[in-house]
Amino acid sequence: MIVSRCIAPDTALKVGLFVTCLVDLMRPSIGFAALKLLESAGCEVIVPATQTCCGQPAYNSGDRAAAQALARKVLREFDGCEFIVVPSGSCGGMIRAHYAELLAESPEESGRVGRVAERTMELTDFLVNVVRLEHVPGRFEGTVTYHDSCSGLRELAVKSQPRALLAKVPGLRLTEMSTPEYCCGFGGTFAVKYGEISARIADRKCDDVTSTGADAVVLGDLGCMLNIEGRLKRRGDHRTRVLHVAEVLAGAAAASPEN
Amino acid sequence: MSGANARSNILGRIRAARQAGGSVSAAESAAVEERFREHPVAVQPAMPWETRARFVQECGRMSSSVDEVADIAGVPAALARYLAERQLAPRAVCWPELAALDWAAAGLDVESRPARGDDLIGVTGVYLAIAETGTLMFLSSPDTPAATSLLPETHVAVVRADRIVRTMEDAWARMREEARDAPRAINFVSGPSRTADIEGQLQIGAHGPFRVHVVILG
Amino acid sequence: MTFQSTESGATAARPAQARPAPLFKQRAHDSLTDAKVQRAMRNFNLAGARARAVAEVDNFEELRTAAAAIRDRSLAMLDVWLERFEREATRRGTHVHWAETHEDINRIVVEIARRNAVRKVIKSKSMVSEESHLNQALEAAGLQVVETDLGEYIIQLSGETPSHIIAPAIHKTRDDVADLFHEHHGTPRKTEISELTMEARKFLREHFLSADMGISGSNFLIAETGSTFIVTNEGNGRMTTTMPRVHVAITGIEKVLPTLEDAAAMMRVLARSATGQTISNYISINTGPKRPGDTDGPEENHVIIVDAGRSRLLGTDMQEALRCIRCGACMNHCPVYQNIGGHAYGWVYPGPIGSVLTPNYIGLEKAVDLPNAATLCNQCGVVCPVKIPLPDLMRKLREKQVARGLRPWQERFGLKVWAWAAARPGVYAWLTRLGARLGRRMGGGEAAIHHLPGNGWTEGRDMPAPQGRTFRELYAARKGRT
Repeated sequence: MIVSRCIAPDTALKVGLFVTCLVDLMRPSIGFAALKLLESAGCEVIVPATQTCCGQPAYNSGDRAAAQALARKVLREFDGCEFIVVPSGSCGGMIRAHYAELLAESPEESGRVGRVAERTMELTDFLVNVVRLEHVPGRFEGTVTYHDSCSGLRELAVKSQPRALLAKVPGLRLTEMSTPEYCCGFGGTFAVKYGEISARIADRKCDDVTSTGADAVVLGDLGCMLNIEGRLKRRGDHRTRVLHVAEVLAGAAAASPEN
Repeated sequence: MSGANARSNILGRIRAARQAGGSVSAAESAAVEERFREHPVAVQPAMPWETRARFVQECGRMSSSVDEVADIAGVPAALARYLAERQLAPRAVCWPELAALDWAAAGLDVESRPARGDDLIGVTGVYLAIAETGTLMFLSSPDTPAATSLLPETHVAVVRADRIVRTMEDAWARMREEARDAPRAINFVSGPSRTADIEGQLQIGAHGPFRVHVVILG
Repeated sequence: MTFQSTESGATAARPAQARPAPLFKQRAHDSLTDAKVQRAMRNFNLAGARARAVAEVDNFEELRTAAAAIRDRSLAMLDVWLERFEREATRRGTHVHWAETHEDINRIVVEIARRNAVRKVIKSKSMVSEESHLNQALEAAGLQVVETDLGEYIIQLSGETPSHIIAPAIHKTRDDVADLFHEHHGTPRKTEISELTMEARKFLREHFLSADMGISGSNFLIAETGSTFIVTNEGNGRMTTTMPRVHVAITGIEKVLPTLEDAAAMMRVLARSATGQTISNYISINTGPKRPGDTDGPEENHVIIVDAGRSRLLGTDMQEALRCIRCGACMNHCPVYQNIGGHAYGWVYPGPIGSVLTPNYIGLEKAVDLPNAATLCNQCGVVCPVKIPLPDLMRKLREKQVARGLRPWQERFGLKVWAWAAARPGVYAWLTRLGARLGRRMGGGEAAIHHLPGNGWTEGRDMPAPQGRTFRELYAARKGRT
C-alpha cells in the first residue's frame, strides 16, 4: 500500500506503536526492536501506556460486545497519531480490515474508526512504503527463510516489504521455502481448541522450513512465531531459530529487556 | 399433494427475503427482460491468438488428435490412415450428412445410423467448434444423434474450418443468428473422457470415448 | 448407500435429518492417525493444477469479480429467474417440480419411478440427493440404484459417503478399489489403475444401457431456455441424460442463471477452480425430452428444484454462501481439510463451504464445531471463484453461537475474564506481569513449557516461555530513567 504524503524533512512523523498483547506478555524485545527501527528511521514514537489488546481473540470467538469494548479503547488511545504501526499482521489487520465492520452498528463512530484504520500499518509495510527506509541497523550472518502470516498477506498485502528490508541486512541470505504463504496452523484460539489439527498443520510448515536448511525462519506475527517455535522444539529441533523480522532488522543487540 | 404448496411456499419465502417487501419494481422487470434480449457477455481473458491455430493447440492439450484435409472428399482416406495407424478395425457408423462420402474406396465399412452400445467408431460432423478450449459443439436432432459421439470408443469429428468460432459466447451468438432454439441436447465435447477418481491419477477413457480425432476441412 | 453415523462408529441407515454433532474432534483424530487417509490426502494436489490454469489467463481476478456479480444477480431476483426457468422448461416439455424439504425430493422421485415402472436407476453426481439420502429411499422402494461417477461408484460399493465434492473417493487407495471390484464384480483382482478404470467402464456401460431412469444433478439451470447444465469429465452426465427413458435432474434453487452467456462466463472460472482445466470434458445442456424424430433422449424429462433451507439464507448475512458453484477449490486449499479429510465434517459438504452450509442447513446446534475448526487464514476465500467471504461467514456463525449460548461455559468465561482485564490497564498490567514471571519460571532452562493444563496447545507443541517481564513495565522503567 503506498501512502502518498509529503514528508517535510524537519518534521518527525508522529507514530503510535501498538506492541500487541503477545509481544507485551511474551517477547518485549520485539517491541523494543520495533521501537528502535522506528526511532532510527526518524520517527517520534508514542507508546500509549494503557494499551492492552486489539480485541481479536474476542472478535474471532464471536463475542462481539467484548471485542467492541476493546476496539473503542484502542481508538481512544491511538486517535491522534499520524500513523499507528503494529509489528503484527493479525493485529494490524484487525484494526485496519475489521474494526469498521465490528463497529458498523455505531455510525457515529465511523469517522474515528475510518481515521484510525486508514492510518494503521504493519511495521514492514510502514518502513518500506512510508519511511522508505534505506539502511537497517541489524546484521545477520546466515540464511533465513520467510513465513508469510495469513492476515499480513491476505488482509494487509504484506509480502514484498519484509523481503525488501531483509535484503538490506548485511550478511543475510534469504531462501524461500516451497509454500511460504501456507498457513502455519495457529489461528488464534483454534490452536488451543483444536490442538491436534493445529499441531499437524504446524508440522507441515516446520517440514517446509527445515527442508530449506535455513538457520532461521523469520516472520512478522507472534502467533505464528510461538506456534512454529513450539512445534520445532517438540520435534527436537533446537537448531532452527525463529525470529521476528523486527529483531533481525534491528540487530540481535536491540535494547535488552533486562536493562 | 404438496406440489402446488411447495412452489408457492418457496417462491413466497424468496420474495419475502427480498428488500422492498418482495415486489419487483418496474425498473427491475425491465432489467430482466433486457438481459434476455441483449444477453450481455461478461469480461473475457485477453485472447491474442489466431483462431484456427488456437483450436489445434487446445485440441492437443485436451488429448484430441487433429488432422487437416483440403476438402470433404479427403476425409475417408484421412480416416483410413488414422485407423490403420492405431490398428483399429475399419468399421464405423456415421451421421447422415457424411453417408454419401466414398468410404468404400478407402477400404472402410461405414454405416449411416446412430451408434449402438457395441459400435466401436463413430463419425460425426459438428455444429460448431470452439477455439478457446478445443471444444466440439453438437446440437441434437434426428440427423445428429448424440449417441454417435458418446457410445463408441473412438469418436471422429469432421469440422469445417469456417465453423470454428473463438469462444462459447460466440457459439451462442451464432446459434441465435441461425435461429436455432435450444434442442433436446447441446453437448460440448473437449477431448476423450477421463477421470482422476482413483488416487488422483489421471486416466484417459472413462465412460465416453477414449479417443477423439478431429479432422479439419479447408 | 448409507451414511457413516457420527454418533458411533457403526454404519447405520439414518433419517433425512442428519446429526453430525459432538464427534468432530474424534473423527478428525481418526483421520489424523489413519496413515492411509493421510497418504491419500498428500497425493491430492488440485491446488497446484488451479494455480497453473489461473496463470494462463491475464485477468483471472476480473473473471472472479464478474462471476460473483452473475451469481449475485441470480440471488437478487431468484424468484423471477426461477419462474422464467419453469416457464421455458415447461414450454419445451419438461415437468418442473418444487421440493421444500428433503422428504419432498425423495417422494417426488419415487413417484416418478413408480409411474414409469422403473426398476433400475443410474445416477450421475447430485450433492442435493446426498442431502436427502435419495439412494436409500429408492432402494427402500425396491429400486436398484447405480452411481455412475467413478468416485461415487467406488464409495457406493464400500458403503461410504463422499469425502470431497469433486473427487468423492479421494480417501481410497487403488488397493481398496481393487478389493472392492474383485468382491462386487466377481472378476479377477486387478492391480493397475488403468485396468480398474476400464473394468468400471465395462460394468457401468451395462447399467447405462439397461437403466430405466437416469437421475442427475445440475450445475446450473438456465432460465432463458429452461435447460439443465451438467458438467462432467467422465461422460456419465451425458449417458445419464441420454440413454434411459426417464431423466430426473435435481438441484437447488440457488443454481439458476439468467442466460447461456452467463453460463459461459461461469465455466471459465469453474473448470479452472475445480480441476485446473480450461474447460471440463463434457457439458450437457438438456432442454426437454426427446423431440419427434430424435433417436436418443429420454421420453420424460423432469427437473426438481429444491429449497431445503436455501431460501432462509436469502436476505441475511449468510446470503453470499448461496453463490457457491460447488467447485471444491476452498477445500483443496484449506489446511484443515487437507489434514483431516472430508468425512470428519460429518455431512454432505466438507471443507470451508461445508463449515458454512452445514450449520445453516441442518442447524447451528447440530454443527457446533465446524465454524470454529478453522484458522480463518482465508486461503479458501482468495481462491473461491465467486468470492464468497468464507472466513467472515464462519466468524458470523461463531457470533450466532455466542448469541445463542452454544459455546462451552469455560470458553465464555475465559474470554470474558480476558476482555474484562484487557479493558482495565492497571489490572491487566498486574496479571500480565505475574503471567510473564510465572511462565518464565515454568519454562526453565529450555525456555519452553511442555504441558499446559486444560488446552490443546501442548498436545503437539511446546509453548515457548515468555521472556519474564512485560513490554509495558520495561518501557515504563526505561522512560522513568530518561
